Amino acid sequence: MNIMETVLVLGVIAIGTYVARAVPILMLAGRVLPVPVQLALRNVGPAVLSALIVVSISTSSFSPGIQVAEVVALVVAGIVARWRRNLIWATGAGLVALWIGLWLF
Amino acid sequence: MDRRAFREGFPLFVPAIPFGLVIGVAAMTSQMPAAGGWLTSVVIFGGASQLATVTLAGTASIWAVMLAALVINSRHLMYSAALSSTFSRQPRWFAVLGPFVLIDQVFALMATKTHLEPTEFRRYYITVGLFFYLTWILVVSVGMMLGPVIPVSWRLDVAPALMFTGLVVLAIDRSPALVAAIVGGSVAYLGINLPERLGIVAGAVAGVAAGGVAEMIAMRRGER
Repeated sequence: MNIMETVLVLGVIAIGTYVARAVPILMLAGRVLPVPVQLALRNVGPAVLSALIVVSISTSSFSPGIQVAEVVALVVAGIVARWRRNLIWATGAGLVALWIGLWLF
Repeated sequence: MDRRAFREGFPLFVPAIPFGLVIGVAAMTSQMPAAGGWLTSVVIFGGASQLATVTLAGTASIWAVMLAALVINSRHLMYSAALSSTFSRQPRWFAVLGPFVLIDQVFALMATKTHLEPTEFRRYYITVGLFFYLTWILVVSVGMMLGPVIPVSWRLDVAPALMFTGLVVLAIDRSPALVAAIVGGSVAYLGINLPERLGIVAGAVAGVAAGGVAEMIAMRRGER
């Protein structure tokens, strides 16, 4: 990605993010978003992040496709996140599982 | 500055530290110039969207990168809408500048402070907002310094996916969220061979739509 593309990407995301954070405050003045919009926005996080997980693992530069060790790491990270409710533990446990998985498989 | 804001904001910032470090490390392995990776903290200031931006940069089309980040940050519309009546009692300059730092943690704190007097609310908001903003930039910068000294064999390229997994699991508190995650991930997988990593966008759109439908069904069934 060159400098011009970087500037464009950062500019558009920064402005778009500010708009999402500011427009209701500046325009709604106490009114509420339509119910369908509220319902759709509720689950943006899980939907987008799970898509990102799948694509980033599948297209890793280290190997084509998804490695067994990577799947094990994701499962362990998910279990630990649910158990400890803590991202530090989840990421750390996932990395350890990945290293063990890479050694085993 | 509001001391209580520091005291209540700090515990919320601590869990974000490793996230910031991972973003810093990812920025150094990104195909985006390092300065651009660092600037994501300054101009975007949103962990998941920053991580998506530096991870996808150079491997997806710039349109896919922008769309993915903006879809992630679209949830801030809800935060902003929820605080709009409180902000209607604030001066215009604050209503314009304040939303820049309206991230998850700031919203979580401010949603419980809407009963405060306007001046008190503003002081608390500015304190937590600036605290999160400045410390976030610092943590990402530290991550960028650590990035080049960490061996490639440690496979820290997987760390963002692991962190995203943790975030998804923590966000799944009801069945519609689970539906959104499953559909989002499945459609992204089916679209893995789409050009410019458009599978992410396809998965995101399908997941959000499926989550919305599941919300309506849950609402009709009386689930909270």
